[in-house]
Amino acid sequence: MSYLKRRKIINILALTISTLCAALGLILLFIILFDVLKEGMESLSFSIFTKDPAPPGREGGLRCAFLGQGLITLIAALVGVPIGVLGGTFLAEYGKDMKLTKFLGRLSDMAMSVPSIVIGAFVYAVLVLPLGGFNGWAGAAALAIIILPIIVRTTADMMSLVPAALREAAFALGASYHKVIVSVVWRSAMSGILTGILLALARVAGETAPLLFTSFNSNHFQLNLNQAVPSLTVSIYQYAASPYESWVKLAWAAAFVITVLVLFLNILGRVVVRLRTKN
Amino acid sequence: MAEQKSPPEDILNVNNLSFYYGKNLALNQVTLPIRKNRITSLIGPSGCGKTTLLRCFNRMHDLYPNNRYEGEILMNSHNILEKNVDIIALRSSLGMVFQKPTPFPMSVFDNIAYGLKLKNIRNQNTLKEKVEKALRQAALWDEVKDRLKENATGLSGGQQQRLSIARTLAVEPMVMLFDECTSALDPISTQKIEDLIVDLKEEMTIVAVTHNMQQAARISDYTALMYIGKLVEYDETDNIFTRPKNKMTEEYVSGRFG
Ligand SMILES: Nc1ncnc2c1ncn2[C@@H]1O[C@H](COP(=O)(O)OP(=O)(O)O)[C@@H](O)[C@H]1O
Ligand SMILES: [Mg+2]
Repeated sequence: MSYLKRRKIINILALTISTLCAALGLILLFIILFDVLKEGMESLSFSIFTKDPAPPGREGGLRCAFLGQGLITLIAALVGVPIGVLGGTFLAEYGKDMKLTKFLGRLSDMAMSVPSIVIGAFVYAVLVLPLGGFNGWAGAAALAIIILPIIVRTTADMMSLVPAALREAAFALGASYHKVIVSVVWRSAMSGILTGILLALARVAGETAPLLFTSFNSNHFQLNLNQAVPSLTVSIYQYAASPYESWVKLAWAAAFVITVLVLFLNILGRVVVRLRTKN
Repeated sequence: MAEQKSPPEDILNVNNLSFYYGKNLALNQVTLPIRKNRITSLIGPSGCGKTTLLRCFNRMHDLYPNNRYEGEILMNSHNILEKNVDIIALRSSLGMVFQKPTPFPMSVFDNIAYGLKLKNIRNQNTLKEKVEKALRQAALWDEVKDRLKENATGLSGGQQQRLSIARTLAVEPMVMLFDECTSALDPISTQKIEDLIVDLKEEMTIVAVTHNMQQAARISDYTALMYIGKLVEYDETDNIFTRPKNKMTEEYVSGRFG
């Protein structure tokens, strides 16, 4: 067989196999999405947003779970986003010539691949046991720990992509380092950093495991962060596994809503990039 | 012209300047004056140290670790390479324009006002006046006067480079440092920028790195030829191109090496 012919066959083989794998992945994804969409749409009614949980058989909703989950995610973002952006800024700027920086960067990257249930267990040990019970702060802490390394990494990467010439031009005008970072580097890297934040939030919006051990769940409308706080994902987990049809339906509906939300966050992230790169 | 008879005063004096990137010697004992209100060109083959020398004047090398200066650059008989020099003040009196345009991701107006705001000029009318003046000096005003609020990254390459020049001019530096600032541009934009550089010497001193010998011959009053980190010859531009004292200069300007 000639060399050329063999190369052609290998080419076709590689193309076929990779196409099949891609197709398999996509098919599975679509089956899941289709299921969630079909079951979710069937079970979805507006009362999911307006009513609080009810005993099986009666019409209930998950209003408090949406609010609780939103509140915990918001607090996680308020803590995780600034620390993450500043940490990434340290890695990319102030610390870029230090030996310690590489180590810190690696450590942060490793934290990204720690299973979220491990983070939940860790927070359980430091914020739940000592405080005597499930509480919202612990849930927010767990989510903040998950988003932190993602934001650190994307921020650092996006800032490193800003051309040195742009920084130098600002320095050459007599700008101080923090001025250069805030007005030129952050500005240039803004769309990338925002996308990182949105994707990090999309990632935790659907997390159950880290909340299971921390803020857990509540069936009552209660947003006191010193106690267990209602959670959408934990509710889905509990309702879906319950024997009651009305609860299972509610779980589907909630899964549908959360899927749409995560999809929306992802698309928003991409639109931000598109808009910023246009001009 | 009578005023050309007595040599103009020196605004900067480079004395025995050596520069190291880590352990690599990139400038070797360079000595030359920079004359006030004149254009000095730095020429020489790629890698000879032109950019390195230019970036010593505004201490750009300080941004990176392990860089080291030896010798001195005198300005008003102060050595600007000393540790305790106020680098921010130094950089606002020596403006630099880079090889590639560097528009900041903000509006045309905010780009030009950037350096002014660093100097704490906040009054809107003053800002407007100074922005317009700088844009006119850079021969860009007519093209952008209706686009001041647009993002500067949407301008053409030649416009972006004139924007970078205007931004530097706005802070009214004493010296402008140009690093091959036309090498990425088309002939028409190059022409515009050459013209404006020549006009600028009324008000300030100019040091221009160029790899283009014709450009050096066209615009500059003095020319320095460098080779592997050393100064080969410094003289009035006419002398360098027509009566070089050094054999190497003669070969370089006649295009036999480089
Ligand atoms: N950041 C740097 N680190 C190490 N060496 C450098 C750096 N920049 C330039 N050099 C070296 O210094 C010498 C002079 O470079 P440069 O001043 O850029 O030359 P020119 O501008 O004349 O082309 C070259 O040998 C180049 O390889
Ligand atoms: Mg150069």
